[in-house]
Amino acid sequence: MAKYLAQIILVGAQVVGRAFMRALRQEFAASRAAADARGRSERPQSAAASRIIGISLQEAQQILNVSNLNPEEIQKNYDHLFKVNDKSVGGSFYLQSKVVRAKERLDEELRIQAKDEKEKSQKAET
Amino acid sequence: MEGAAASSEGLRYAEYARVPTGAGKGQAELDRGLARTMIAVGLGVATVAFAGRYAFHLWKPLEQAITETAKRISTSSLSSYYKGGFEQKMSRREASLILGVRCSGGCCEVTRSPLFSRLNKPCFPQPLLKGPSADKAKIRTAHRRIMILNHPDKGGSPYLATKINEAKDLLESSAKN
Repeated sequence: MAKYLAQIILVGAQVVGRAFMRALRQEFAASRAAADARGRSERPQSAAASRIIGISLQEAQQILNVSNLNPEEIQKNYDHLFKVNDKSVGGSFYLQSKVVRAKERLDEELRIQAKDEKEKSQKAET
Repeated sequence: MEGAAASSEGLRYAEYARVPTGAGKGQAELDRGLARTMIAVGLGVATVAFAGRYAFHLWKPLEQAITETAKRISTSSLSSYYKGGFEQKMSRREASLILGVRCSGGCCEVTRSPLFSRLNKPCFPQPLLKGPSADKAKIRTAHRRIMILNHPDKGGSPYLATKINEAKDLLESSAKN
């Protein structure tokens, strides 16, 4: 009787463990695919920023509809899209969140660029 | 007799003499212990101060990085905006979030609040429209509302317009089944 119980428990644990491992492996593959799709052609700092904020530079540019990183254009588009997707006028909070995250990512990219420029100018001086 | 008296006096004197010296010795020990602890505390404070000044000079850029990350973490946790970009392949959940509508079996509902969407009252199917056509009507109204707000010709983003259309197609195709 106890032997059967032990066998049942063992088989159950094996099934659960196998399913868990499969789910884990799928999750890894999915996250790696997403990361690859995001940061294929970015410098290491940009790739790190993409990973932290969770959105790639290319997608952020597409969301805010800016082709070059012009701060005034980014701010103008962001203000318009943020206002338009506000919940009070019946917009989608989800879309508004994406707009906010895109702006964050572009701000980070501008910061990285500014730091690179400063480092380059400092190196050129010395 | 005299010797005994003298010895007893001597003993008594010794007793008297011992007590002050005993107290004096304890007092000296206390003083020494106190001084030792004071010196140790002073030295400790001095080392901490020197180490702090050295660390401050040496790790000022690191401190800046730490404060920046702390600020970023605090702001991102305080705001309730959804994190990250759009999903690689749009899911039904994402589509319903984009259009702000949830459909299940002939009953679509416009979501009120992102935080408490689960606590929304369950919707009841309208008697006139039932089944997939009710779903489709609600989806279409929601899609039109969001699309008018985000129209590319009015300064919206074409990428967002694509996502909105994709969401509508996904929800309509799944509402058909």
